Amino acid sequence: MAVSSRRLQKELTEIKTAGTPCGITLLKADDFQTWFLSLEVLGESQYKGEVFALMFRFDPQYPISAPAVQFVVDDKYKAPLHPHVYSNGHICASILGGEWSPVLSVIAVCITLQSMLASCKEKKRPPDNDRYVAHAPDNPKKTRFVYHESDSAAAP
Amino acid sequence: MCYICREEEHHDQPVEPPVAWVHPCNCTLVAHESCLLSWIQSSQQDASRAPNALKCPQCGTIYELESYNPRTLRFLNKLNSVVSMAGKVVTVAGVSCVIASFGFGVYIILTSYGAYAVQEFLGKDFDLVLTEDPSNWPWHAFINLPLVPVSLIISRTPLFEGFPLVPLFLAWTTSPPVQTTERLMTARWRRAMTSGADTPWGPLINWPPSPLMVTFLYPFVTKLYRRYFRRFQHWVMGTEPSTGTTVRRYVWALNDDRNLQVQVDVNALPAREEGQQQQGRPQGNEEQQEVDPNGEEQEAELPQDPAAVAERTIRVTSASLGRFVGGALLIPKISNWMGAILFRLSKYSPLLRRFLAIRPPRTGAPEVFGKWFDSQPWSQMSVARQLGVGVHMALSVVGGGTKTFAECDPVWWRNSVGLGIFVLAKDCVNLLHLYLTKREIETRRVKSRSFEGVDIKELDLLNPPQNPAALPLPTVA
Repeated sequence: MAVSSRRLQKELTEIKTAGTPCGITLLKADDFQTWFLSLEVLGESQYKGEVFALMFRFDPQYPISAPAVQFVVDDKYKAPLHPHVYSNGHICASILGGEWSPVLSVIAVCITLQSMLASCKEKKRPPDNDRYVAHAPDNPKKTRFVYHESDSAAAP
Repeated sequence: MCYICREEEHHDQPVEPPVAWVHPCNCTLVAHESCLLSWIQSSQQDASRAPNALKCPQCGTIYELESYNPRTLRFLNKLNSVVSMAGKVVTVAGVSCVIASFGFGVYIILTSYGAYAVQEFLGKDFDLVLTEDPSNWPWHAFINLPLVPVSLIISRTPLFEGFPLVPLFLAWTTSPPVQTTERLMTARWRRAMTSGADTPWGPLINWPPSPLMVTFLYPFVTKLYRRYFRRFQHWVMGTEPSTGTTVRRYVWALNDDRNLQVQVDVNALPAREEGQQQQGRPQGNEEQQEVDPNGEEQEAELPQDPAAVAERTIRVTSASLGRFVGGALLIPKISNWMGAILFRLSKYSPLLRRFLAIRPPRTGAPEVFGKWFDSQPWSQMSVARQLGVGVHMALSVVGGGTKTFAECDPVWWRNSVGLGIFVLAKDCVNLLHLYLTKREIETRRVKSRSFEGVDIKELDLLNPPQNPAALPLPTVA
């Protein structure tokens, strides 16, 4: 318990003092369980002008265990149309699963997702979107994603 | 700064008690030893992160661990993995055993039904071809018998009409009688008595036609029957023949308990009531026994929906499924009964007797094919003669059937004829049902009641009369 709180406290302090990178802002970080950040892709991209919101959920073993990250889907925000993002906001990204390591941080994850959106060539949903969303668990960490280079598939 | 917990420790302000730091790789990342060890342990447990557990996330250098790893531990680990492998093998073997025994049970059920069906259809006299004891069956029985119930059921769907019964008949009509030890002994006993000149096959042209011929002609007969019966049906019901839209969807309503009434679409009736030409609504909107002479499926048309009108639905309920499968499996028994009825009737009519070719049951022992073959002077005959004999044999099997079939009482023939009569009768009864239903719908009238006791102001009338008694029936509203 202490480890995750201390680490998150440090990250929060760093955000408050050094600020966030361009396009990323801290929306809400009241406790050490759930944080909300907003994400915007700057420059010329498929997502110009679109604002998204990310929800981070931490468990007591953070940063040994990865946070649960997904795009917020509600009245105000929608999930971006991307081959690795499902319509319920779940993200198929290796750094959130097999490639997670404690050297990453909340800001690092945001930057990676920002570049993932920026490098997207074609706005479309993942091929198995409907099937996945029909049976998806609430927490994306429960899904066993299969990571491909170009497109992704999920095996819940 | 530890890259895992981000705690900092300055060189001149050491933490009390001192914690171990470690620099395990080539880049600048350092960490507390305890932080790093718990990271390695937790990622080794997790299947998705295990391959990266011992690698530095930034420079990729492999970490090296030291631990107390005695031979005993290594041996026990290896033993554990070997036993796990054996466990996997046992699981696979167990599951396949269960599936195999299930399949075997199903096979036994199908085969015993097949034997029962063959006996019913061919008659008890055909003990020659199939005896009670499975060890006497010819080899092809084990393949053909389980196919019998399957092909009976399939033959009721529109897909395969005469086809699946062909392999059955082909095998049986050409097989010699079964050799039981008992028969071999009686054959040897009687060898002196039977003349060697008896050929083991029957005459070339025979009545009834050999089973092989019947099998070939069966699909044609069924097609012709269906075509003419459908014309007859359309004439009776007064509908236009359909444009042949195929069945588009199956509605599985297995819990549907309502007794599905035979449905007739009123719009398809000859439009006497509308005073116009008969509408060319080009589908058989009525309930059609369309599948097969024995078909049972109810085609529920949706008369109101124009889109569904062009589409045919087959509604499968628990009742219709049972009727379909049960009816298919009852075919041998029904044909046996019909054959018995025909047999009884034949006592009164010599014409019927000739048609059915009733003969007394076979008394002689079945001919042993091989014995005849040996008795012929093959070596002395020329090639042409041998060929001639062979062709003659084949043709006679096709035309007249093997000697068994030729000489025995052809129960199977009257069973087939009886089955045909039964099918025709059933179709006629179904047609009668449809016709009467149509009549019932046509003659429906709604009864009116008098207006006594009804407040005149409640009615929706254009010109309300002052006198309630002046209300005629029916009223214009």
